Amino acid sequence: MGRAAYKVEGGKLIKVQLEERDGRIEKVRIMGDFFLHPEDLIEEIERDLVGKALEEGVLASSIEALIEERGATLLGASPRDIARCIIMASEEGR
Amino acid sequence: MVEKWRLLDTGLNDAFYNMALDEAISVARSKNLVPNTVRFFRWEPSAVSIGYFQSMEDEVDLAACERMGVDYVRRVTGGGAVYHDRDGELTYSLIVKEDHRLISRDVQKTYEVLCSGLVKGLRLLKVPAEFKPINDIVVGGKKISGNAQTRRFGVVHQHGTILRDVNPSLMFTLLKVPSEKIRDKLIRAVEERVTSINRYLGREVSFEELKAALKRGFEEAYRVELVPGNLTEFEERLASRLKAEKYSTREWNFKR
Repeated sequence: MGRAAYKVEGGKLIKVQLEERDGRIEKVRIMGDFFLHPEDLIEEIERDLVGKALEEGVLASSIEALIEERGATLLGASPRDIARCIIMASEEGR
Repeated sequence: MVEKWRLLDTGLNDAFYNMALDEAISVARSKNLVPNTVRFFRWEPSAVSIGYFQSMEDEVDLAACERMGVDYVRRVTGGGAVYHDRDGELTYSLIVKEDHRLISRDVQKTYEVLCSGLVKGLRLLKVPAEFKPINDIVVGGKKISGNAQTRRFGVVHQHGTILRDVNPSLMFTLLKVPSEKIRDKLIRAVEERVTSINRYLGREVSFEELKAALKRGFEEAYRVELVPGNLTEFEERLASRLKAEKYSTREWNFKR
């Protein structure tokens, strides 16, 4: 399992716990002191990321699409920041 | 006629009831059972609250909390871990319908507007407070208040803390630090970056004086009149149920 923490410049802290297999996400947990309205969308984002390839661009656009679809607001971090932290957790876990 | 809101002072309660009551008031507001509400409250015993997205085990030294009789609870709002000292801190909640003139769709803007009531109240105490995005209020660059907001059932719920007194070394006894080696460094950093009303003014400001100033600050900034009121039976019953079935459960507090 890989873990990483990433402090967004001028923003909040993201922490990720990741399990991966063959370059894809098996399980991911996105934690930190950012804001997301509605809050429980985080669980849906985590489920949605399962099976996705561990590439920053792919993950960022998946997260962004889901946030947009639900009319949600992410504050203190961007989808790309979260994607970056997931990639950092993957590199740390290897 | 000036718009009237309800003012509640629920005094000292445990962490689970405090968080349950915020949710109960939000539900009551969404059902139009109560008016828009400002609530002041404190914590007994002292407690640590963590943000919705944080991991309890990652953020909180549970053994230290148990040893010192400090409660720990997960909030419905995002943001960071906060130590709520029984005697050092005042907490407030604002529960306002989403269609109110003060609320915009822009979350960042709404933080600024709602925090303006606190800023005004602190300035009435001669504390030259300023809002600092995303969700802080600072004095001379040092944090004096942290705030967190959520929207559910058509209601905006913002709660936050105002530091009357601050003890960074106690805070880092209860919160986890990445390593023991940097504990002292973190404590010094917090001492440099955080202040309190008593420390800034160099005198003891009572909770009553602080609440009176904030009440006026809210009234002036929001152009409303705060009318002291009570909890409804609906809110009290729902809060007891939410405490038992949600906020005091392991399932909720350790869900991440």
